Amino acid sequence: MTGARATGVADQAGQDAGQYLPKDGAQEETAGQPAKPFGIMGWLRWCWRQLTSMRTALVLLFLLAVASVPGSMLPQNGTDPTKVQQYISQHPLLGPLLNRLSLFDVFAAPWFAAIYLLLFASLAGCVLPRAFRLAVSARAKPPAAPRHPARLPFGSAYRTTQQPAEALAVATRLLSGEGFRLRTGDGWVAAEKGYLRETGNLLFHIALLALLAAVGLGALFGYKADILLTEGDGFANTVADYDQYHPGRAVAPGDLQPFTIWLDKFSASYIASGPLRGEPSSFAASLRYQQQPGTPIRRYDLQVNHPLNIDGAKVYLLGHGYAPQFRITDGKGRLALQQAVPFLPADNTDFTSEGVIKVPDAQPDQLGFVGVFLPTEVASDGQLSSAFPAPLNPAVSLVSYAGNLGLNSGAPQSVYQLQTSGMRELPIEPRPLFPGQSMKLPNGVGTVTFTGYRQWISLQVTYDPGRVPALISAILAVFGLLLSFLVRRRRLFVRVHPATAGQDGADTAGNGTEVEFGGLARSDVAGGFEEEFVALTAAIRAAHQVTQGAAAGQAPLDESASASLGSTAGQGSVSSQGGTASAGGTASTDSTTATGATASTDSTTGAAASTGAAESTGAAANTDRK
Amino acid sequence: MPRSPRTTTPAPLRTGIAAVVLAVLGVLPATLALAGCSAGPAASSGPGTGDTNYIGGTVGTTAYRSGQRPQAPQVSGVTLTGQRLSLSNYRGKVVVLNFWASWCSPCRSEAPALAQLSRTFQAKGVQFVGVNIKDPGQLNGAAYERSFGITYPSLYDPAGQVLLAFRDTVPPAAIPSTLVIDRTGRIAARIIGSVDYTSLKNQISGLAAAGPGGSSSSEGGG
Repeated sequence: MTGARATGVADQAGQDAGQYLPKDGAQEETAGQPAKPFGIMGWLRWCWRQLTSMRTALVLLFLLAVASVPGSMLPQNGTDPTKVQQYISQHPLLGPLLNRLSLFDVFAAPWFAAIYLLLFASLAGCVLPRAFRLAVSARAKPPAAPRHPARLPFGSAYRTTQQPAEALAVATRLLSGEGFRLRTGDGWVAAEKGYLRETGNLLFHIALLALLAAVGLGALFGYKADILLTEGDGFANTVADYDQYHPGRAVAPGDLQPFTIWLDKFSASYIASGPLRGEPSSFAASLRYQQQPGTPIRRYDLQVNHPLNIDGAKVYLLGHGYAPQFRITDGKGRLALQQAVPFLPADNTDFTSEGVIKVPDAQPDQLGFVGVFLPTEVASDGQLSSAFPAPLNPAVSLVSYAGNLGLNSGAPQSVYQLQTSGMRELPIEPRPLFPGQSMKLPNGVGTVTFTGYRQWISLQVTYDPGRVPALISAILAVFGLLLSFLVRRRRLFVRVHPATAGQDGADTAGNGTEVEFGGLARSDVAGGFEEEFVALTAAIRAAHQVTQGAAAGQAPLDESASASLGSTAGQGSVSSQGGTASAGGTASTDSTTATGATASTDSTTGAAASTGAAESTGAAANTDRK
Repeated sequence: MPRSPRTTTPAPLRTGIAAVVLAVLGVLPATLALAGCSAGPAASSGPGTGDTNYIGGTVGTTAYRSGQRPQAPQVSGVTLTGQRLSLSNYRGKVVVLNFWASWCSPCRSEAPALAQLSRTFQAKGVQFVGVNIKDPGQLNGAAYERSFGITYPSLYDPAGQVLLAFRDTVPPAAIPSTLVIDRTGRIAARIIGSVDYTSLKNQISGLAAAGPGGSSSSEGGG
């Protein structure tokens, strides 16, 4: 397998750095197997290869997507624990089962972690070696010039009267000026450009890894916490004050930003008529907050999806509801409870809300109530219901219990559920209570007064230090990907030989130089290399001749002529397999005969007569370019 | 059409990065970011499903040797009965600082032990101080104290300011939590969860016996 990789690297450096993600799996499965006994190392290697294969990554990716589905189908503890509670109580059979399967905590579930950890490993295992290869490729020098550069897909040849060394120096200088990376040898120069492609590709891969790291950073040092906050109350950003707290692995309780938030008022408005009647039209929670003890207290209007940012921690408004207020005296006639008790909306259209009241300090019997709050109570044949979500006619109705709440045992219990096992239901018919109204409980166990209501909001506080790095990584990854798509790698070779005598030219042997050009665009998806090639060759040719004077010339080289597809009459020697670039043919027509090659004429001697060697298409292409 | 803010969770916002990546880079990194959003471990929130309204934390005692005890912060406030109270008034005494809420079941189960110990050690230079947190209104706390015959004062701390004060030292990371502060004002132990009568008694006796200037004695408990 290592062998396979090694050759892969060689291939890459030699020919093809075009693709940006290797199909490792497919390649190596066939390459790595040959008849070796599968030892433990062999198995491990095989496993690693399977894990880091593209196919596995894709399967894991798909799995991850599928595994996320329940996260959006079912209520999640991470976003809305109250809804989860509601769901569980509404589905007594299915709820606990789903809970056991972590389906209310999908993104924190062990099976979910297994998938993404495997995916992380798979990606890292694929991307890291790949990044090394790209780094090597991005720093590589161009390969040596081939013996006959003119035979490359783009080729050209001509003769100049300059000495070989001089001609080569001229070409080298020019290519260098064009930003090519050069490698020179005896009688040749190889130039390559477009390394930004590999750099971009490398950037993409590194950014991908950075993205992973950023995500890990958030998972380690970030936290998420929920709290339900009633109007008039406040909380400090401390672990003990939260209802729910999900710290990253490296978060200590003392790391939480020391801010405090108070909720002064929450207001919601609802559409009062029309088909959308009862739909909310706006929510706003007016908060006060203090960045840390001793600093000034500021105000903030918190709205949905417009979080409050304190020291990098973001405070989101998640939900709201009603908290009817009660004053309850016990059997001894003493005040045992006075508070607003948050009820959970059971119906989101009319905000009929349910909750329980526990009065653990009532004596001699503890008291408990299961209640319904109706924001806009309407009586319809004995059935209590709410007609509108706004508190236009608020009422509560309570079922009363007395006995032992089970709260003194130390066993934690839900604040939204009443354990009635130690209690007896009191023989009193539930009836709607309106603000200010009281209900005397039978047997003298106490009195309940419904004094009014407040509203509550649920807040989520999240801190994710990986957020900004993740964003930057993502942007860099996109940028890198664009670079690798848009930049193409291309090579140009120039080889000079002392001219041999005896062709039709005026030059005597040894006094001139045969110059051969070859060009190669790697992964030329974008196209356009022909034009660049033509321009470059023209420029170099021009340079060769200007320094020389326009006179000398020689016939084109035979072999280059024969190698070129697009040229006619053995004259134009630039060719391209695509045919369109036969335009280049014009550029290469030799200088002696002063062809109509526009590229050269413009820049050099201004020779007008065309030998006819240039095809009209070629000429056209050239003029286009000008 | 969202019916309430709860339906428009902030999740889409926070996975915004993921969405961007998803759109441009293809699904691959996106799901990673998505996974990352929620990669936090499902620690915390004690037993059950988290609707208990408080963080259970890891129950246990941390004791600090006399040389390594963090200085307790300056804490002052108003008690449930409306009096001003400052911890520094008790310098020279052993202070048992108990964080509680009237509706919290483990608090209620440890309350008799605290009430008993506070009476036992009153004459031995040990002062119990409660901190009533997460309780809406003083009245519930007062009823709680009445129920359990608690006579020591409790700071009323509905917005968690006393909790914040301990942030840099030994954060009481759950309800209930108990801090034992030695005579020099240094934190000698933290108990998360219900205190055990016997072990707390041993802890306090050790510190009380050390006398002013407080040396030695750091017994773990459990």
